[in-house]
Amino acid sequence: MRAGRRLLDAAAVVIALITVFPIYWMVLAAVKPAGEIQSLDQKPWTLAPSLDAFRRVLAVNDFGRYLLNSVLVALAVVLISGLIAFLAAVALTRFRFRFRTTILVTFLIAQMVPIEALTIPLFFLVRDVGTVVPGIGLNTLGSLVLVHTAFTLPFAIWMLRGFVQAIPDELDEAAQLDGAGRFTVLWRILLPLVAPGLAATSVFSFIHAWNDFLFARTFIISEADLQTLPMALLVFFKPDENDWGAIMAASTLMTVPVLIFFLVVRRRLVAGLGGAVKD
Amino acid sequence: MRLRLAAAAALAVTMTACAPSTSAPATTASGGGPTTGALKVWLFDEPNRAPKEAVVKEAITEFTAAHPETSVEVQYIPVDTRSERFKGAFNDPASAPDVVEYGNTDLPEYAVAGGLADVGPVVSGWSEGADLAADAKASATYQGTLLGVPWYLGVRALYYRTDVFTELGLKPPATLAELATTAKTVRARKPEMFGVAVGGKYTFGALPFVWANGGDITSIDSAQSRAGLTAYTGLIAADNCPPQNCADLTGGKTVELFASGKAAMGILGNFNRAAVDAGAAKGEYAVVPLPGLTAGSVAPAFAGGNNLGIMKNAQRPALAADFLTLLAGKKYQTKMYDAMGNLPTLKSASAEVAAKDAFVKPFIDTIDAGTRFVPLDPGWGKIDASAVLPTMIQKVATGKATVDEATTEAAKLIDEALKK
Amino acid sequence: MSRVRTRAPLWLLLPAAVVLGGLFLYPMYQLGLLSVLDFTQAQVSGGRPTRFVGAENYTRLFGDDRFWSVLGATVLFAAACVLATLAVGAGLAVLLTRVSRIPRLLLSLAALAAWAVPAVSGSTTWMFLFDTDLGFVNQLFGIEGFNWMYDRYTAFGLVGAVVVWASFPFVMVTLYAGIEAIPKSVLEAAALDGSGAWRTFWRIMVPMLRPVLAIVVIQSIIWDFKVFTQIYVMTHGGGLAGQNLTLNVYAYQQAFASSEYGRGAAIGVVMMLILLAVTLVYLRALRRSGEQL
Repeated sequence: MRAGRRLLDAAAVVIALITVFPIYWMVLAAVKPAGEIQSLDQKPWTLAPSLDAFRRVLAVNDFGRYLLNSVLVALAVVLISGLIAFLAAVALTRFRFRFRTTILVTFLIAQMVPIEALTIPLFFLVRDVGTVVPGIGLNTLGSLVLVHTAFTLPFAIWMLRGFVQAIPDELDEAAQLDGAGRFTVLWRILLPLVAPGLAATSVFSFIHAWNDFLFARTFIISEADLQTLPMALLVFFKPDENDWGAIMAASTLMTVPVLIFFLVVRRRLVAGLGGAVKD
Repeated sequence: MRLRLAAAAALAVTMTACAPSTSAPATTASGGGPTTGALKVWLFDEPNRAPKEAVVKEAITEFTAAHPETSVEVQYIPVDTRSERFKGAFNDPASAPDVVEYGNTDLPEYAVAGGLADVGPVVSGWSEGADLAADAKASATYQGTLLGVPWYLGVRALYYRTDVFTELGLKPPATLAELATTAKTVRARKPEMFGVAVGGKYTFGALPFVWANGGDITSIDSAQSRAGLTAYTGLIAADNCPPQNCADLTGGKTVELFASGKAAMGILGNFNRAAVDAGAAKGEYAVVPLPGLTAGSVAPAFAGGNNLGIMKNAQRPALAADFLTLLAGKKYQTKMYDAMGNLPTLKSASAEVAAKDAFVKPFIDTIDAGTRFVPLDPGWGKIDASAVLPTMIQKVATGKATVDEATTEAAKLIDEALKK
Repeated sequence: MSRVRTRAPLWLLLPAAVVLGGLFLYPMYQLGLLSVLDFTQAQVSGGRPTRFVGAENYTRLFGDDRFWSVLGATVLFAAACVLATLAVGAGLAVLLTRVSRIPRLLLSLAALAAWAVPAVSGSTTWMFLFDTDLGFVNQLFGIEGFNWMYDRYTAFGLVGAVVVWASFPFVMVTLYAGIEAIPKSVLEAAALDGSGAWRTFWRIMVPMLRPVLAIVVIQSIIWDFKVFTQIYVMTHGGGLAGQNLTLNVYAYQQAFASSEYGRGAAIGVVMMLILLAVTLVYLRALRRSGEQL
């Protein structure tokens, strides 16, 4: 092998190491004993790993509960938003109708809305809706599922469109000739074929719902039991002294589910992004 | 493309709608509601919260023993983001907590927002209600309505390290000018220490300097106010508390600096005693009133204090009243003093504390010398929440603006907020 | 089901329309409406009637020096982040096509991991790494006591680094997939013609990747212009004397801390219009060069 190639290989490995270094540091700080965290001589390893910080996090602040809340919200968003986006993507690729492009452009524009600014009207909207439909008003997890579904939809539809397009029309035409109804074509033929695309899309929806702390902070006003993880993480930033060990342990706990999710859908994600762009 | 955009815009416009509906002011709540279930309580988070939490836990145990089938859920609210939390609770009646602790400076804003219930009936029906000091009661009253029970008083004075002062042969400063020279002496002789811990976000540490010079918040661009501000920001400098370390400090962080032994002096409140005693400074400090311009004078302190209130939208007003009077009663006021150093508002508790503990004296002296308050106006909440004064101090301390520029800008914002 | 003009498949679009109409278009409409109202805490709690003030929120905003300085900072910060993200992402995508299997796998996994880290966790981790006294970086370079958040530019730089770290993986993975889809024969032909790596990238890959690049560029602009979490967490809501405020954080503070809901909404509208303008200019340029949306 040529020297040039080897040099590039080395560069790739070094860059990979730099990229994961902050993550390594996070996990390391989470298992370091308190004395080493407060130290003015930080070592990039520890000889006395301890789970104290994790215990502090899990015991004191009901972290397990928050973790569950976050998982529930994120999964609900992934499922609902994936399903709705799938239907819409089929409509937008398999049919030609007036305003089709208008609708597409609207989805693109929708992504530009600074959702932080929408917290203002959404706060009042969700409050008023909550008085009519219990379960999705303020102070409920339902309200979070609702707004995140809405915010993830435009991008999900935009992305799924490419996947549906990539499936040859002949497939569903053949199925229809065989007497399959529209419904059957949708569920039995298109859905399985779009599955990799759905997996790729779900990554974005999952991350979006999982990362949010603005809506959790604004909507979950007084139900301590319904806080989500990012809010709980900020609890460890104290007015007096930051408990870095606990902060890093909490950050680690918050990162692990996403990492697992990523590893599960990794192949499909890469293939999926490839599929979307071939369009 | 243009046409399609227009169509998209038209689609948005044809959605008929009206502005977010406003909630009608609810009626006064002083009784009623379920007598079982979970009572929601918001208290302020503190530097070193543990002693406060222990006292509150004790009160909860007593409360739940007397009220079967109830529980009390306490959330500790970070002080610097309380504004958003309270507004959220005001704006959505359904998710309001029952009992809240709030700073007396926030009273006008919360009163105008209509978020707090009239506790007049609660206090008049409470056996210890008559024991409340009149001026304390006045500080919880807005336009004739009692909107909370004063829980404790808080004033700030000068904490200093006796060991360091003895070692360096220093005396506690008698004037503000002496404070600056003393601080610089400490820093020069002990470079690992700050002279006096000051912070760019520590409004109530800076205001005594302004007041001592004859200035005020409402005339922050006057010559007197500017002189006071110049004196305070002069302390956020390399020869006392370098801007790299101190420009972004809140009052709570200066408490931590003093408690951990990194500062020789600090402008801390009576309520910070527990935090200081938990740190390296324990047993090595004394307190004097923060001096004024001339020897023997006292710089006017901010008359701080926190009230306990009941939310207008509380789900369990009757239970809330019971819990509030328990926590605000003499027993727990005294316990809170022991735990945190909070000055009681009940006359009998106050007298008892002053008699048994010399620690209180400099704070009582400070109160006797005359205290000041922030503008009693709902606009103050806005000035506070949008960090007008901290921004002003930080701009000067970091050299982004001169005192004149920063105060002129702040004066404009303050006028605007108070005019509304 | 064939691609012919048929009646609109309403039932397929209905769920999306309901959700987006109710939770997107309607709030957007209200955002616009709020921006022309005097809407503060007093109005919310019903103490005072809402009042139509026309363009007053906007004129006051445009007359405010603070707004212009925040706007300038936001645009520059976003532009720097977009450029850095694209440069890093594209560079690494090309690198991926030229390295052996194991390094490629390692780099992909590392990038995916960085991508997976939630914004809040990422921000806190970098804060700890760059902490004034306890941070590994300061200790490594022997600059203990150096406060990265003190100076406006180092603070923006650090936050920008976190943004790039979190967003380059999307660019890298997408572009890599795109490059892999380019027929090998094309690249081989270029190599035979004696075209260097740099030239091949600009002359062959970039034109062929135009549609992918369009997606990546637009998404980066949208995401980086709206950065919120990193700024909010790392600079404690805007930095010393608000030096690190961006429009998004500024709007949120105006609305929720200062209770100026009307003015906060006006800032939101301005942001949206800027994004819209930037994206339209970009799409137009794409169309000129013959691309379909």
